[in-house]
Amino acid sequence: MDIFERVYMAIVSRDRDETVALAKEIVEKGIDPVQAIEKGFKRGMEKIGDLFADLEIFIPDMITAADIMNEGIDILRPVLKLESDEMGTGKILLGTIQGDVHEIGKNIVKVLLEGAGFEVIDLGRDVNVLTFIDRYQELKPDIIGISALMTTTMVNIPRVIENLKTMSLRERVKIMVGGAPVLPEWAEEIGADGYGDSAKEAVQVAKRLMLELRR
Amino acid sequence: MVDYWEFIRRTEKGEIVDEKDFDRKIGTVAAEMVNKYGIRYTPEDPVPSDDSLADRVFEASLELFTRLGIFVMDTRKVVYFSKEEAVEALSSAPSTITYGSGNEVVHVPHRTVEDSRAPVVFFSAVGTPVEEEDFVKVCMSYAQEPLADTYSGPLITKYRGMPVTSGSPVEVEAGIWNVIKLREAARFAGRPDIPIHNFMSIAERTDATIAAARPEFGVQRGDGLFTAAIAEMKVDFERLKRIAFLLHTPYVIGGLYGPLMGGYAGGPEATALILVAHFFLGLFAFRAERHNAFPININQVCNTTREMLWLVSVSGQALARNTPLVSASNAFMAAGPCTQMVMYELAAHSLASTVSGWHLNPAAVARNRYPGHASGMEARIHAEVGHVTARAGICRKDASKIVNALLDKYEKKIVNAPVGKSFRECYDTETVKPRGEYVRLWEDVRKELKNLGLDFKLVYM
Repeated sequence: MDIFERVYMAIVSRDRDETVALAKEIVEKGIDPVQAIEKGFKRGMEKIGDLFADLEIFIPDMITAADIMNEGIDILRPVLKLESDEMGTGKILLGTIQGDVHEIGKNIVKVLLEGAGFEVIDLGRDVNVLTFIDRYQELKPDIIGISALMTTTMVNIPRVIENLKTMSLRERVKIMVGGAPVLPEWAEEIGADGYGDSAKEAVQVAKRLMLELRR
Repeated sequence: MVDYWEFIRRTEKGEIVDEKDFDRKIGTVAAEMVNKYGIRYTPEDPVPSDDSLADRVFEASLELFTRLGIFVMDTRKVVYFSKEEAVEALSSAPSTITYGSGNEVVHVPHRTVEDSRAPVVFFSAVGTPVEEEDFVKVCMSYAQEPLADTYSGPLITKYRGMPVTSGSPVEVEAGIWNVIKLREAARFAGRPDIPIHNFMSIAERTDATIAAARPEFGVQRGDGLFTAAIAEMKVDFERLKRIAFLLHTPYVIGGLYGPLMGGYAGGPEATALILVAHFFLGLFAFRAERHNAFPININQVCNTTREMLWLVSVSGQALARNTPLVSASNAFMAAGPCTQMVMYELAAHSLASTVSGWHLNPAAVARNRYPGHASGMEARIHAEVGHVTARAGICRKDASKIVNALLDKYEKKIVNAPVGKSFRECYDTETVKPRGEYVRLWEDVRKELKNLGLDFKLVYM
């Protein structure tokens, strides 16, 4: 089994000691850290996402895996000599919409996006419509991800899109939406670029949107 | 005795806690309790008959609650309670509550495991979004049902063409409209005094709720209002403000707890414990007089999967055997109205809940997300099965067999459950009666259920 496969296995089995030891070995032996991330860490987190989708593992397991991955990547960081957005896939501004204090779904999406290499700026829950706009202008993310758990709060999501339009910012950023009451038809109706039915799907959508941006 | 204001005082005390640390602690302590108390999920027996399991679930939940406490989001403090305080809160909690006034008064007692008294059925559209023009008729479809002891409504997301955005003036106006229309629908259904167990579903914010809670808009003495905990074991001042208001009113305070199976607690065993722990949260933080549980499978957004039915059953038994509380089980179905599958799901959930000591609160259908997909007929089906189950004296062992037979019929279809038909499609909207197709489908499924051991002659006795 090559070292990338061993990293993959260590992430999937959530073995902190083994992950740290392997990361140190990669640094010491001068093994390509980018490949280690792609073939080991990211692939491991992808598998973690699959296991969660089948409820073979639960949120605490997923958070542990993400922590272990971050610990391992921190060890690789000095030899990577890259900024996070260079080694990643893109920058995402993420938050639960105004009025909605539920963020469990958004947090799951965040873990899997980070596992896939995205830089995620988490605005938290009950994020004011205008805060999304302000933080967009400040941070210039590639994607804004907005979630809602309540039907009563999801009606605030289109307000973010409308405000971006009125400020002529809409074409510069991709918008993806999700959450329990959000349907794909509604996402299309309000003019979102992407919709994720699950955390796993959200990652696929984010990757697709990044491809569209780079075309 | 920890009264409400002692709880509020404690929300400002102690160290600031990182919310992420609190979230992680839930899974760690819950897993520890599952092991310590030997709680084991039995997929082959979705409605367990093991009294000692129920008692261990309760003890484990009590210890879990005292170890975790309640996280207050506004102060980032955790409020802890001793075991003695928790036990005292239980002993002083009401074991019977009363809804209603005028011609319709409903006494809701604590139910026991395998209770032969029919469950009280709180008919509810569970906040399903509907068009403004359909609101009253959808409400009538619930309020007119003979087995509806109380009722509550759907919600609208647009009011006179304006989106009902939380925190806006429209929310206040739509909240008042909500209350007026609920009582109007009750009148048109021929039951002007039917208790409304949750009179606000449109407004999120407390100011809008308080603005609408006035007798001149139609809220009556003995109606009620739910306040939901934030998953898991969290509250915020927005919710606590409602309680400060409700304590001065004649409205029944309901606590609403919806832990996610697969979420911060973990699997079915740990989620059963965290669900029961939420009932203590309800007693201290919400001063809840009655309690509603809606545990949900985090991926399937329903509680009719095998492990969810087990979870509903063991948590209900734990509460029924060890507390005096008045508790209801909220039904969340994967399939939508006018499908065979939703009937199987409703029957399985109602059976598992009824024999385990719950009252019933049906029903969210089509994963509670498809606009217009809800009607009184689903609640009727759930209620009929609950009444039959109790009156026939069905025991947990027999219920488990029937639930297994029902799971065989729908379990594999949950991932791709049919959305079913909308209210307009499955009801005659002029007469507000279910269409023949829906009624016949239920008659056919009833025959299947009869073959499984449910005697529907007992329903309207």
